[in-house]
This record gives sequence, C-alpha cells and structure tokens, in this order.
Amino acid sequence: MIVTVILIPFIAGILVPAIPFQKRWQKEVFLETAVVLNSILVWYLLLHHSDSTFLLAHFTGNLNISFRVDGMSMVFAGLVSALWPFATLYAFEYMTKEEHENVFFLFYTLTYGVTLGIALAANLLTMYFFYELLTLVTVPLVMHTLTREAVLASRKYLYYSLGGAAFAFLGLIMVIVYGSTTDFILGGVLDPAKTVGKTNVLLLIYVMAFMGFGIKAAVCPFNSWLPQAGVAPTPVTALLHAVAVVKSGAFAIIRLTYYSFGTDFLKGTWAQYAVMSVVMFTIVYGCSRAVKETHLKRRLAYSTISNLSYILFGAVIMTPLGLVGALTHLVFHAVMKISSFFCAGAVMHQTDRHYVHELNGLGYKMPRVFGIFTISALALMGVPGLAGFVSKWNLAGAAVESGNPLAWGGIACLLVSALLTAIYMLTIVVRAFFPGKDFDYSTISDIRDPNWKMLLPLFVFTVFIILFGVYSQPVVGFFMSVATGAV
Amino acid sequence: MYFILLPIFFPILAGLFLLIHYRTPLSGEKKNAGRKSLLLLTGCFLVITAVFVVIALFCEGEGFILFYLTKDLPIYFRIDNVGRLFSALAVIVIPCAGFFSFEYMKHEEREGRYYGFYLLVFGVLNALCFSGNLITFYLFFELLTMSSMPLVLHSGSKEAVMAGLKYLFYSLCGAYAALFGIYFLYRNCDSLTFTVDGALRASAITEHGTFLLAVAFIMLLGFGVKAGMFPMHAWLPTAHPVAPAPASAVLSALIVKAGVLAVIRVLGMFGRDFLKGTWVQTAWLCLTLITVFMGSLLAYREPVLKKRLAYSTVSQLSYILFGLAVMDETAFVGSFLHILAHGFIKAALFLCAGAIIYKTGKTRVEEMRGIGKEMPVTMWCFTIASLGLIGIPPTGGFLSKWYLALGSLNSGIPVFDVLGPVILLVSALLTAGYLLPLSIHGFFPGAAYDYGSLRKREPCKLMTVPISILTALSVLVGIFPHLIIAVIHMAAAGR
Repeated sequence: MIVTVILIPFIAGILVPAIPFQKRWQKEVFLETAVVLNSILVWYLLLHHSDSTFLLAHFTGNLNISFRVDGMSMVFAGLVSALWPFATLYAFEYMTKEEHENVFFLFYTLTYGVTLGIALAANLLTMYFFYELLTLVTVPLVMHTLTREAVLASRKYLYYSLGGAAFAFLGLIMVIVYGSTTDFILGGVLDPAKTVGKTNVLLLIYVMAFMGFGIKAAVCPFNSWLPQAGVAPTPVTALLHAVAVVKSGAFAIIRLTYYSFGTDFLKGTWAQYAVMSVVMFTIVYGCSRAVKETHLKRRLAYSTISNLSYILFGAVIMTPLGLVGALTHLVFHAVMKISSFFCAGAVMHQTDRHYVHELNGLGYKMPRVFGIFTISALALMGVPGLAGFVSKWNLAGAAVESGNPLAWGGIACLLVSALLTAIYMLTIVVRAFFPGKDFDYSTISDIRDPNWKMLLPLFVFTVFIILFGVYSQPVVGFFMSVATGAV
Repeated sequence: MYFILLPIFFPILAGLFLLIHYRTPLSGEKKNAGRKSLLLLTGCFLVITAVFVVIALFCEGEGFILFYLTKDLPIYFRIDNVGRLFSALAVIVIPCAGFFSFEYMKHEEREGRYYGFYLLVFGVLNALCFSGNLITFYLFFELLTMSSMPLVLHSGSKEAVMAGLKYLFYSLCGAYAALFGIYFLYRNCDSLTFTVDGALRASAITEHGTFLLAVAFIMLLGFGVKAGMFPMHAWLPTAHPVAPAPASAVLSALIVKAGVLAVIRVLGMFGRDFLKGTWVQTAWLCLTLITVFMGSLLAYREPVLKKRLAYSTVSQLSYILFGLAVMDETAFVGSFLHILAHGFIKAALFLCAGAIIYKTGKTRVEEMRGIGKEMPVTMWCFTIASLGLIGIPPTGGFLSKWYLALGSLNSGIPVFDVLGPVILLVSALLTAGYLLPLSIHGFFPGAAYDYGSLRKREPCKLMTVPISILTALSVLVGIFPHLIIAVIHMAAAGR
C-alpha cells in the first residue's frame, strides 16, 4: 500500500508522453484523476496507518529501503498530497502558454511520488535515496524553458543540491556508525556507549549535515539557487520551490535533528548555537533581499528563503514546542506561499508582467487575484486571524519557553522579518490598488481575472488561510501529539 | 452581550459594502446622482453606528468571546470605563468630521473609497475601545493601521502615497515591537485580559524582573510610535498634512490616541507598582518631555498650517503620555481629560484648517492675513479652540494641564516632579506662539492691509456646524468636568 502511493505518480507520469491523447482535455482528465486518486489513497493510508514498517529492499547490515507512517510523515505527506491536485489543476491552465507540456507533466508528476517517498521513508538511508532522486527529477522542470538563463539556473541547482547531499551523506555515515539503527525514532538513535569522547566530532558532522540538507531549505549562504530557479514555470516555483522541494530540506533537517541525532544530544551545545545563528541570519537576510528585489517571483522566492528559516528556527529550538512551531509554519507557510505564488503566476499568465513596478492599478482589473494576494500578504505578515499569526505565535512561544537567550533574539529576528515582509508585500498591494493620481487606466483596459482553473485553487487556499487563522486547535493539537511522540 | 458586536461589525460591513459597490469612480452625468446616494448611505451608516455605540456605552456585562485563536487565546470584547471614555470621544468626532467631509470632498475623486475606509476606521476604533484582552487589541491595532492608511494616501499624489507608506511602516514597526512584548507577557501572565494592577506572576517578576522591565520599555516604545513619541514621531508630520482635512482630524484626534489607549492597557498589564521608580519610568519620562518640548518648538517654526497642527499633535500627545508616565492618580485624571480636550480641540482645529483650504486654497500661515474678516465663524472657533490648547481657563485644556501639573508635583519623583510642569508651561507658551498669530493676523490684518479685497467666504452649514459643536464641547469639558472625572476615577480603579 505504501509503495503504491509512490508508484502511482511514477506510472501516471510516464504514461503521459506514452499515451497518444487526441485532445488536451483527455490528458488533463487523466492526470487530474491519477493525482486526485493518489491523494485520496495517501490520506486513506495516513488515517488508517499501522505501525509496521514495510521493507522494500535489504542491502547489508541494517541498511535497507523501507517505509513507515509516523507523525512526521503524516504531516508532510498529508500536506503535499493536499496541495498537489490543486497545483496540477492550476498547471493545466498555466501551461497552455508554454511548450513541451508532456515532458513537463511527466516530471511534475514524478516529483509527487518522490516527495511522498521522502515523507514516508522509515530510515535515513531511504530518505537520502529519495532526496537525491528529488534533485534529479526536478532539474528538468527548472530547465523547462530551455533559455540560457534556465539552463544556468538548473545547473546551479544541480550542483548545489548534489553538493549538499554529499555533506548530508557524512551525517548518514555517522548515524550508521555511531547509532544503534538508522530508523527514525523520536529522541534520536545515537548509542551513548559508542559516542563517548567523540562528541565534538559528531557535533561538527551534525552542523555539516545540517548545512547539507539546509541547501535545499535555502539556508544562507547556500540560498542563491532558489531565486534563480524562479525561471521555471510558476506551478513549479509555487509548489516545488515553496513547498515540496524546499520543505523536503526542512523535513530532512527535522528528521536528522529530532529522529537521528536526538535533541538530548544536541541541546545546549555549540552546534545548536551555531545552526541557530545561521538560521536567524537567514531569516533577516532573506527578507532584506526580498525588499530589494523588483522581480515579482524572485521577491517571493527570497521571502520563501526567510520563511523556511522560520521553520528551521523552530526546529533548532530543540524542544517539543519548537517542533510544534516548526510544523505549524511548515504547513501554514505552504498554504500562504503557494497562494501568493499562484497570484503572481496568474498575473504573469494574464498580463505578461514580471516586475513589481509594472503592477500599477492592476488591482482594479484583477480584483479577485489581488484581493487574494492581499490576504496572503497579511497572513505572511502575521496579522491575527490569519494563518501566519498562529505559526509565528507558536514559534515565538516556543522560543520564550525554551529560556534560551539566543532564541529570544530569534524572536526579534522574526519581528524584524515581519516588518520587512510588510514592506515587500504591501508595496505591491498599494501599487495595485492605489496607482496614483496620474495613472492612465487605458493601458490596462483589456486585462481581466483568469478563469476558474486558476481561481479555484486560489479560493481554496484562501479559505484555508482564514480557517487556520481562526480555528487552528485541531491542527496544532495534532502537531503537539506528533512532537511528543503520541502519534 | 451579542450587542457589543454591532458597533464593531456594522460599520466594518457597511464600509466594505461601500468599497465594493463604489469601486469604479463616478463620472459624467451619473456623478451627481451617484454622489447623492453615496452621501445618503454614508450619513445613515454613520448615524446608525453612532446610535449603536451610544447604546453600547450604557451596557453592563461580562463581555463576549468571539472565538479562540489558539487554545487559550480568545478574541474577547468587553466594555469598561477606559473604553467608554475613548469611544465617547470617537462617537462625537467621527460623525462630525464625516459630515464635514460631505462638503469638503465634493471635488475629490473616488469618494466611495474614502467613505468606505472611513467607516472601516470607525468600526475598528470601536473594536479597539471594546477590546477585552491584549491580543484582541493587537488585532484591531494592526487593522486600524491598514484601514486608515488609504485615508492618508487618498489624493493619490506621489507625496501622499509615500506618506501613506511611511505611516504604514512606522506603525507596523511599533506594532511588532509591541508584539515582541506580548509574546513574553503571555508566558509570564495567567491571561492577557486587561487589568489595572498588574497581571505578571510573582514568580516571573523575581526570576526575570530585569528582562521584563526591558520588555515593558520595548512595548511602550512600540505603542508610542502610534502616539508620535520621540524618537519615532516622524511619520506624524508627514502623514497628517497630506490627508484630506477631515481625515487628518480623525487621525489627530483619535487614531494617534489608539497608541495612548494601548499604553494605558500595557501599564495596567505590567502594573504601576512594577514600573514605578525603575529606569523604565525615568527613560519614559525623559522621552515624553523631550517630545513635548520638541513638538512645540517644531510647530512654532513651521509655516504650513496643517503641518504646524501635526507637530502640535506630537507635542500634545506627549502631555498625555507624560501624565501616564508619572503613574499618579491625579496625573492620570489629567491625562484622560487631556485625551478628551485635545481630541475635540485638535479635530476642530484641523477642520478649521480644512475649511480655510477648501474656501481659499491657502495653506501657509502668512497667507492667512485677514482671514477672520472673511470667515468669522470658522476663525472664532479656531480662536476658542486655540485658547483651549494653550490652556486658558475655563476651557478643557486648562483643567487637564492643571491636573497634570498637580499630579506631577504630588508624585515625588526626583527632578521630574518639578521639571515636568516647567516644560509643560514652556510648551504652553510656545503653543500660544504658534496658534495665536493666526487669530491675531486673521482678525487684525493691520493698517496696510487691502480691505477692498475681502470677500465673504464663510463655508456652508455642513462645515461650520461640526466645527462649532467640537469647539463648544472642548469648552464644556472644562466647565462641567465632574461626571467625566468620576468616570475616570472609576476607570483608574479598574471598574
């Protein structure tokens, strides 16, 4: 069953170019059905999971490829499978203007399976395997337009990711050597008997592995691939570079920290302070770059860099509450950012405008898109009543509770970043709705809102932004039970 | 207590309705008919909301929880006496300035947007007054910034848009500084529900006392941004003059006071006993006195009337903050009286300035020679309001300053107990210096003045009546203060 949900996207993806579809809508229906079906299967699996591990292949010793559903995988797999059908729907409409559709949908759907593989992996080796695979299947998506810019971006993406994975590999080896098993167990698997006297080496390797996985999560100074990769079509930037790929990085770090090395081993060490400083710096750095950036999608990409570090900040607090904060932001940010990216994509699709200063007055012509954009902007800023407030509240609450003075400084970083978020998001909103006295409305007279395929995902995400904002207890309660190991 | 939701959500919904219904600008032949229905609607909405607020003012009750943000974080509304006083001010000023706008905004574009956001601001202000805990307050504090920004940048000129953004970012900066404090308060208090005698747990004070003082200071600074406290006052003189005059009146009389209201609430949460005599109090007193003096001085040398009034607001708001910083009951009464008196006076002054701009197009003080002969009613009101702001008996301004000085002298804080009243007096002198020349030159333009060019330019009733009402109220606060003072004492005791 677990393997099925990973395989279905593979099969469906490969079938897209293989089946000679007569009409475009047939392909759409085929893909959407496959994706929705798979998502339903995933949710069924998550809700009726057993604790057993499914062993796919056994290499040697305790090295094997196996899958298991635990709390963390429920969060990530649930998130990914909830977003994928909407993103696919949006992609149908968006890709009407692009070429090589079949190749695009092949890899796009493959990525779904690979991401689920990461989410459902039962041990570090399996996760590492799918992690590498994720890089390989997403490179063609970045390269999609085949312009020089895109090729360069994908090359950079490839080198960065492979390099990062190499560092992460060091971490993997250390866990194999010094751990009792490579399986994910909340609290860590390091064997105290073996680690005596090796603490500092292990901590160093942890930091290296953190940065290695952190490359996918765009931790500074390894973030420059993400804004460049924004040349990819918007469904890719929105779903992969705001959710699936980058959050795989964050997810891997959480696995590494909470389930392999263990927080008892790491908490209060120099390694914790080192990674926390890096993360805090990235939070502010990403936002500052976003303020400076005038290209709409790249601005959002920088915002993602900053927000991913919110998640990592929660993770490196290394308390259960910190993990709750991290998971909350992992899920809530996904919804907010995908919503704002889809708005940006809708604008690009409808108007071919890519820069912030070209958006003047569009709020009157595309009221739905910009209304939704405004809501996602407010949510990202953390206005109470919207999703972003709850996740920031949890993160800051965890930081206060931890009693770690550096984490208190982290709260200040969060708030500085919130202010910068307000600056880079609200200037767009103000431009769109208040173009100024001398603005010539005739230049935008033939622009209108996109059709339902683009709007439906946006509406759904907006509903969730508000829903999570006003009624988050069930979700946060679930995260709590994940963090304490009750699920 | 469902009723408490009406004065909050009715104007918000009404505002949204106007925004959506009048989203395209009126033009051509339809403009007149469209404008009439817009004004009729806005007028009705304003009056209905005012009635709701007045009824709500007399409500007694436990409050009402709308929903929970997280497990123990309710959005909670409650009516207490602090909120009553603030919303009593709002319910008078907003409709007055609103009716004034009917005439003032005649030649502006996109009136629908203006009135839409105007009503939003009304609802959000009511929500601020009736907030029962810090998180609800914070929510509406943010919304207040968002909904009032479009009023600032209404004219759409480059200058106005930049001023609007400046206002937005300063306010958000302050709000986030405050949020930093809220995170820590939440962990160190049993609940975030407002009190007047401190909600911090005793164990928290002994453990993190020093740090919590820093947190208190950051919160005061943060909320102080909205109240134009030095060093974050710079948005005020930029944002107020570019807004349409009635909007500046609301900004100056009410929206900046949201910062004051916030400071009152924060003081209550930390408790006066916790802050009294600490470095936080000293630093805060310093900042307020610097602001009082600096604001007056800058106003004194400012030639543009509306900007001058904006600097004056900076100065006057710090009178109020000074009274709160003294942490003495008499000074607290003075602060509250000044909130009311300054609210009425400054609204009246800004509306007068608006009337002058509307009728003559003159913005600079030196151009206004002889204006009293042309617009006698407006200028009489301006003069009376000016006298109130200077603090001449029997106006409200006199009484509030009297209490402020008395409280300061009683407080027994070294140096500041005397320094405070001295600076207040110097500032009063400066106030006379920057306000009275208008009246003097307005009514006595001098022998060399060309009387032949004078024309009757008194604005219509829609403008003069609101100005007169506000001016009259500013005097009445001084003549019949007993009821108000009784309510303030109740508010200070937390009832």
